[in-house]
Amino acid sequence: MKTGRLVYLFMPAAILMAFLYAPPAAGLGEASRIVYFHVPLAWGSVLAFAVSGILSIRYLFGSNGSEAMLDMKAHHSAGIGLTFTVLAIISGSIWAKMSWGSYWNWDPRETSIVILLLIYISYFALYGVMSDNGNRGRISSVYLILVMVVVPFFIFVVPRVYPSLHPDPIINAEKKMNMDMKMRMTLLVSAVSFTLLYVYFMGMRNRLMGIEKKIDEKIENRREI
Amino acid sequence: MPVIIEGTNIAKKFNRKTLFRDISFSLSAGQSLAITGRNGSGKSTLLRIVAGITSPSSGSMTYALNGAALERYNFFSHIGFISPVMNVYEELTGLENLRFVGGKKDDDAHLAILDRFELRGHENKAVRLYSSGMKQRLKLACCFLNDPPVLLLDEPGMNLDRKGRDIIYSYLDSVRENRIIIIATNENEEAALCRGRIDFDQ
Amino acid sequence: MISDVLRQLKKDFLVEFRSRAAVNTALAFAGIITLSISLAAGGTPFSTLVQAVFLWIILFFSAMNGLLHIFTREEEEQTSLFLSLNVPAEAVYLAKLVFNIAFFLVIEMVTCPLFIFFLQVTVKDIILFVMTVLSGGLALASAVTMLAAMTARAGGKGSLFTVISFPVVLPVIWVSIGATVESLQGSSGDAWNSVVFLLAFSGAVTAISFLLFRYVWYDE
Repeated sequence: MKTGRLVYLFMPAAILMAFLYAPPAAGLGEASRIVYFHVPLAWGSVLAFAVSGILSIRYLFGSNGSEAMLDMKAHHSAGIGLTFTVLAIISGSIWAKMSWGSYWNWDPRETSIVILLLIYISYFALYGVMSDNGNRGRISSVYLILVMVVVPFFIFVVPRVYPSLHPDPIINAEKKMNMDMKMRMTLLVSAVSFTLLYVYFMGMRNRLMGIEKKIDEKIENRREI
Repeated sequence: MPVIIEGTNIAKKFNRKTLFRDISFSLSAGQSLAITGRNGSGKSTLLRIVAGITSPSSGSMTYALNGAALERYNFFSHIGFISPVMNVYEELTGLENLRFVGGKKDDDAHLAILDRFELRGHENKAVRLYSSGMKQRLKLACCFLNDPPVLLLDEPGMNLDRKGRDIIYSYLDSVRENRIIIIATNENEEAALCRGRIDFDQ
Repeated sequence: MISDVLRQLKKDFLVEFRSRAAVNTALAFAGIITLSISLAAGGTPFSTLVQAVFLWIILFFSAMNGLLHIFTREEEEQTSLFLSLNVPAEAVYLAKLVFNIAFFLVIEMVTCPLFIFFLQVTVKDIILFVMTVLSGGLALASAVTMLAAMTARAGGKGSLFTVISFPVVLPVIWVSIGATVESLQGSSGDAWNSVVFLLAFSGAVTAISFLLFRYVWYDE
């Protein structure tokens, strides 16, 4: 929670570094700066998903899952993850347009992030249907765990699918950007910033949930007196 | 097969409303409890909590069989449960439903209980062709078939005429000595079958 | 446990076949979409890739249409409590799984011949084709059975089922399409790896579903 507040230090640093410190990349020039936002967002979306999954496992199998409302925390993480995913896709398409001239190319990485988006959307659809169902926590946690089990199969399949379905291989130039020390530093700082941003938002949502719970309890106690 | 059921400070909340709280009791063979109160007061919910179908919002239920603790879902095989929201399979015949509940037993036991609940002659008809009173009697037959040590009955007399009710009451009287019986009901007559009482109207 | 599963299976088969409406509708659905696609195409010959894609889209939607019923019927007719009190959760899961797999095989047996006939498909490697359809079908049915239980317990309908199934089932569809293309073209190569993949997928989802089913089936 308190760690989240470090974001106030890191994020401005990351933004400054992205625009002033890191040199423009060969080829793309100033436009390459988008990488310092796109990559950490994508990383954040995966982190959020992993955290949701772990919280779901602890909710079902841990000793005090319901007490600690871990199912709701998993939900909070998923919300942040969904936002990061959408932003990653948008920033990724902008970058793709600048690099290759088209917004969308269905290469493995793009495909993977869309699948993640799909997973998040399905999770929220399921969660949303159960707003007054006492089993919401359990069922949504099971869904996340099931999806986590399927992810390794995706990792295996995605790189093979598009070469086989699309005869024109698209050379993925994304990670081939040669990064010098300054660029790597900036990317690292940015990645840390976005991670902290995630932690910060999680902390806020979880604290808010805790406060709401306390208010409910106080109202309950008042009523009985 | 002595079974002991204990509820400690059971409370149930839905969203922010408390349905009931501070319910505690302890029951062993031969004891019985009626849960009464107006509609919506939580009788069925409490019965479901006792059965282990739902958990309480706070407090706990414990079950013991011969002194050893029994886990919640394992308790199901020791209860006979009936409720207005629980139906038998209407596409199956009465006998097939009983076979489904009974497991390995041969048909003698099934036919005997059909007899007891005056459904003999209808056992090979699909349940969807039964009258509501017959359906209720079949549900009761399924509930009592395996002779469970704990009987949890939510409105057992629903849809039954005088004769039907007399059948249940005489059945309960004949087995009450070795059973724990809990009845959730609006009817005073049914509540009177039990010695203990939890009244949600107070 | 086995006797519980058998008892439950027998009951499910009896109930489903006595009121055949759901089964018939699911089969009719599979037939209709196959016909619709071929009619809409107006006899245009498709490449093997497109044929394979159509086959698996048809099978996916037939699954979405037909494999939910085994759980939603229990909720609609309010027999689910009767069931959960009388049969342990794991046995319920296994029996429903076996039912869905068997049912989906029947759907495939109706769909594939229609598909081959109306879309004018030539299958060069029949064994591979059959194995792909079987293993892909197994993977589909295993993956969605748990999701069907979840949809039913969540009170959702077919559209929710489709939404939550798609991400889970996507690897199966991709791999099945790839292997089907190879079987239509007669070029096997590593298509048999795909069959292994599908079987592994079935195993993994069945195992995790078996472990987690009780959290979905029983109330909080």
